[in-house]
Amino acid sequence: MNSLRTLLKKREMTSFFFLILLFAVVGCINPAFLAVSNIAACFNSSVVFVIISVGMAFTIMVGEIDVSVGSCLGMTAVVVGSMICNGASWAVAFAVGILIGIIVGCINGFGVAIMKAPSLIFTLGVNGILRGLMFIYTNGADVNNIPKSFKDISAKALPGIKITYYFIAALILTIIIHLLLTKTRKGRYVKAVGDNADGAKLVGIDPVKTKFLSYIICAVMASIAGILFCSRIGIVTTSSGNGYEMTAVAACVLGGISLTGGVGSVIGSAIGAVIMSSISYLLVFMGFSSNYNDAITGSILIVIVVVDSVMQIRSRLKLRHERLQARTRDDMVTEGENA
Amino acid sequence: MENNNKPGADNLLQVCDIYKSFGDNAVLKGMTLSLKAGEVLSLIGGNGAGKSTLMKIIMGIYTHDSGKVYVDGKEMTAGKTTEALSSGVYMVPQEPLLFPNMSVEENILIGFTRPQAELHKELVDTMKSIGWNLELNRKANTLSIAEQQLVELLRGLLRHAKILILDEPTSALTFKEVESLFKVIKDLKAQGIGIIYITHRLDEVFEISTDVGIMRDGRITLMGKIEEFTKAALVKGLLPDTTDQQEVVSKTDVDYTKAPVLELQNFSGYGFKDISLKVYPGEILGVAGVVGAGRTEMAQTIFGMDKVLGGKVYLDGQDITGLSTQKVMKAGLNYVSEDRHADGIFKISSVAYNITSGILGESFMGKVFLDTKKEKELTQQYIDDFRIKVTGQDQELGSLSGGNQQKVVIGHALATGPKLIILDEPTRGIDAGARTDVYNIIKGLSKKGLAVLLISSDMEEIIELSDRAVTIHQGRLNCEFARSEINQENLTSASFGVVGKEKE
Amino acid sequence: MMSGNVSSENKNKLKAKLNWNWFLIAVILIEILIFGVTNPKFLNVSSMFRSMNDFVPIGIIGIFVTLVMITGGIDIQAGSIVGLTSIIIGVAWQDWGLNIWAAVALAVVIAILCGILTGFFIAYCGVQAMVATLGGSFLYAGLALMVSTMSNTPSYMGITNFPDAFRAMTKFKIGKISPGPAIVFLIVAVIMGIVLHKTKYGRKIFLVGVNPNAGSFSGINTKRVVLSTYVLSAIGAAIAGIVLTSYYNIAKSDLGSTFTMNIITVVVLGGTLSTGGKGNVLGTVLATIIIGLIKFGLPLCFGINAQYLDAPIGILLVVVLLGRALMVHPAFVNYRAKCKSRRQKAAA
Repeated sequence: MNSLRTLLKKREMTSFFFLILLFAVVGCINPAFLAVSNIAACFNSSVVFVIISVGMAFTIMVGEIDVSVGSCLGMTAVVVGSMICNGASWAVAFAVGILIGIIVGCINGFGVAIMKAPSLIFTLGVNGILRGLMFIYTNGADVNNIPKSFKDISAKALPGIKITYYFIAALILTIIIHLLLTKTRKGRYVKAVGDNADGAKLVGIDPVKTKFLSYIICAVMASIAGILFCSRIGIVTTSSGNGYEMTAVAACVLGGISLTGGVGSVIGSAIGAVIMSSISYLLVFMGFSSNYNDAITGSILIVIVVVDSVMQIRSRLKLRHERLQARTRDDMVTEGENA
Repeated sequence: MENNNKPGADNLLQVCDIYKSFGDNAVLKGMTLSLKAGEVLSLIGGNGAGKSTLMKIIMGIYTHDSGKVYVDGKEMTAGKTTEALSSGVYMVPQEPLLFPNMSVEENILIGFTRPQAELHKELVDTMKSIGWNLELNRKANTLSIAEQQLVELLRGLLRHAKILILDEPTSALTFKEVESLFKVIKDLKAQGIGIIYITHRLDEVFEISTDVGIMRDGRITLMGKIEEFTKAALVKGLLPDTTDQQEVVSKTDVDYTKAPVLELQNFSGYGFKDISLKVYPGEILGVAGVVGAGRTEMAQTIFGMDKVLGGKVYLDGQDITGLSTQKVMKAGLNYVSEDRHADGIFKISSVAYNITSGILGESFMGKVFLDTKKEKELTQQYIDDFRIKVTGQDQELGSLSGGNQQKVVIGHALATGPKLIILDEPTRGIDAGARTDVYNIIKGLSKKGLAVLLISSDMEEIIELSDRAVTIHQGRLNCEFARSEINQENLTSASFGVVGKEKE
Repeated sequence: MMSGNVSSENKNKLKAKLNWNWFLIAVILIEILIFGVTNPKFLNVSSMFRSMNDFVPIGIIGIFVTLVMITGGIDIQAGSIVGLTSIIIGVAWQDWGLNIWAAVALAVVIAILCGILTGFFIAYCGVQAMVATLGGSFLYAGLALMVSTMSNTPSYMGITNFPDAFRAMTKFKIGKISPGPAIVFLIVAVIMGIVLHKTKYGRKIFLVGVNPNAGSFSGINTKRVVLSTYVLSAIGAAIAGIVLTSYYNIAKSDLGSTFTMNIITVVVLGGTLSTGGKGNVLGTVLATIIIGLIKFGLPLCFGINAQYLDAPIGILLVVVLLGRALMVHPAFVNYRAKCKSRRQKAAA
């Protein structure tokens, strides 16, 4: 019973309940929403965001950030998409895609982990470089001859609950990664470095290596997301992936990950990604025009983050006051009576 | 003076001729020392002598420029913490470096390769045998500094280190915890573990060490068995050779017929209760007590940093209870925090910026535009009066020595022209020379009619400076001493709650 | 008196401060040289201004964001506030019938409210700046879009045909050049430069950025100072929005949506530390000129498509960051010290 209670107290459960709440509210307003196809669509449409947010979670939990993931996704989508269009074998195209992720991850890792440049701004610069490269690679044109066979995979779903295999795969991947991060010795190093990099050094953890690896994982996840993007959306434009990094950050924050590092889990970021991508879908069912998307997303993000923050400050203050009060209790046995 | 230059085969730890510079700053200049199994080597030395740097080099956190480190006869690769750890070296750092968002248990057990269940049992058994009670599931960011230090010590114990380095382990511990730590050290000594113990507290040195070494200017200047030294000899060894005849200012008598500058009436807040005291103009009132007694909480609440739960504070007759920090400063009371790094200094700002940071609201510094001429004058005045060693007013505060930083911080507090200043551990972490300077500054203040509330855990400091003293125990004021009654015994017993004055 | 005794340490610090701005000036001169030689049309002042006028609004915002970043924060919502300001001017004047100047005033007031809202969450609720302004960027962009739907003009078209008086604010000519936006930029730079570097308020901004705790212990109302920087940043975005709307004679809700990266780039390139405590307005101004010239020169002189420009600007930012990181990297610092001592020994 105790473990169930601790499970429920976790921040991830709060995010999950929030998601359920959203569904419930929309369902009340418009019962047509509560069809399996609609709810499944919410999850299915979130695949790309889930993958990219899980990757982002690595860099944030390790105490940094990576805002180049949007253009890394775009770059991969553009390259893989055009390679497949031109008849390259899928395996080769995917390998190239992953390679792009590895290269971007190495660049970011070099700048932030090894050279210790500030992560937000460095990855912002890399973001710009990749964005420009995308234009150069495509000469400004879209990639739109993606073979139907590739696009169709994205639609293959489990009969009955209509959840796509893509989403199930994403879910399984997330769970595996979560277990690796929390149960293995080296997995715990990620959050340890984010929590206290100096303390990590003292117990034999190498922050540089850990951060470098986190950046590679983050970029590779972005590349995988880019491949999925290709398959799902079917068209890649020069602005594909623009702004996805911000959505990924929002997803992580919604899921309980703190930007200071050392806190949170990839499960939380995945749930946050589902929330973020469902919002536009849900709004349609609530009768709002798509014009309200951004405003409502922004409001939800702000509300959650403010509530989180205020509650944290309050509880820390309360704890501190309790501790101090305990020192002055009248019935306290006097310490250190001299022998 | 003993100096082992050859890597002795029987030495647990051998450090040979280590040099280390940070940029232009040479910290270690030919460090050599050795440690045998079962020895407890106390290392003492002023700030900047390089003790912590040397320890970090042994642990592989820093890379030395030249020289060698041998553990058990085997040469260690520079900068490899994992190698140091697997060779059986562990350092308990001076400031706890825990993971705030992990639990106590996770903090202690992270990095081990052995199965968790086995480690858990060992941890529980160890804690029971020492008698330290810590909830293993508590998040580290809820622990007090003392509890954090205990967690760090447990980490070292569980690693079965052959060489245990303790860097000022008792700075935040209570008397009982220190006793149990010393018992552990004695046990480890018997088991053949080698211990390096860094401390500022000479009494501790004599209680537990087998050997002692004095570090100055990046090398060992004096080393030997503890029996060969007296306390006076150690103190002499710590002071620089140039007998800088520091003029010691004498104290003046306080006029107790005048009205008190500060009066607390049944003052209560978080961490302290029902405190009543008076401070008179020109007086230095010492406030003694153990760490955690509530003195800092009281001072910070007076200063407007926390909520008042009851009682009143009067400054020169004016009711300043519960006022904001800004208003308290305007009324004429200022506070110098015990944690210089976190609360006192603007590290990458210049000396001038630091001095004037408290008086930016004043009209004499300009209406809208900052009067930089006034700023220069004021800063120079403090540099001259306090003998602060700077290369110029523009020097970054972080590059000053600890003692000079503290002088700047005190100057910044005085710049507001207060009637009373609260000094919280004003000489923590500064070397002997600067300490004398600060004592002179404090005495000079009382000569000018300023009142001082001196919070200190250093009994000698209270004895030297105070006109009267009070002790705070568990948040309550339990004793008041007149000048003749201020001595080690009275202060110590009262700090621990044993009330019963004895005339000197 | 310490007067004549400027030691090497002091000289280094002074050098460091001036060094960066001199370096930026050198880059500007090199740019003018390279671009001017490659294509003399680059030196045509009126076309240079025309191109700079495009980029200068980013510099205007950058000056205010410099203050934000000196306190250790960041602002990624400014771009959205630009669009919000612009569309309010348009809709308030065209559809609600307000006098154009009243519309402008309304837009500024709303922008200030945006700044107060986000700034409050950051300063008083402890929300991290990155996240709060991230939410703000969504929210205010969304509000801008919603406002645009309140107009008869469809959102994608934008509102035009503003009164001449409003347009004349930025669209006047001196000889052949339209210096409007650039003049606004200069005025803002001078005012904010004085505020930041000469006033007590500006000093407080630096101190809060270096150590907010110590700031509180010094009696500075750190929360109010931090909040004020976000309000100023919002005002900067509003000014940029007004300038753009007036200059291009169009009000669009998505104006500024691509500004964020460039704003951060000019602030960081200008020498402001992202960790806070250090920065200067002049640096931001110089950095704005550098990037503005790149955006003008590369397409004109080397035929690079304007859309590719994110790449060279990104490279510039990355190189600057790596260079700075190298200078303070412990391994490098040690290496330099060793070389120096070796040189000294050899000379002896």
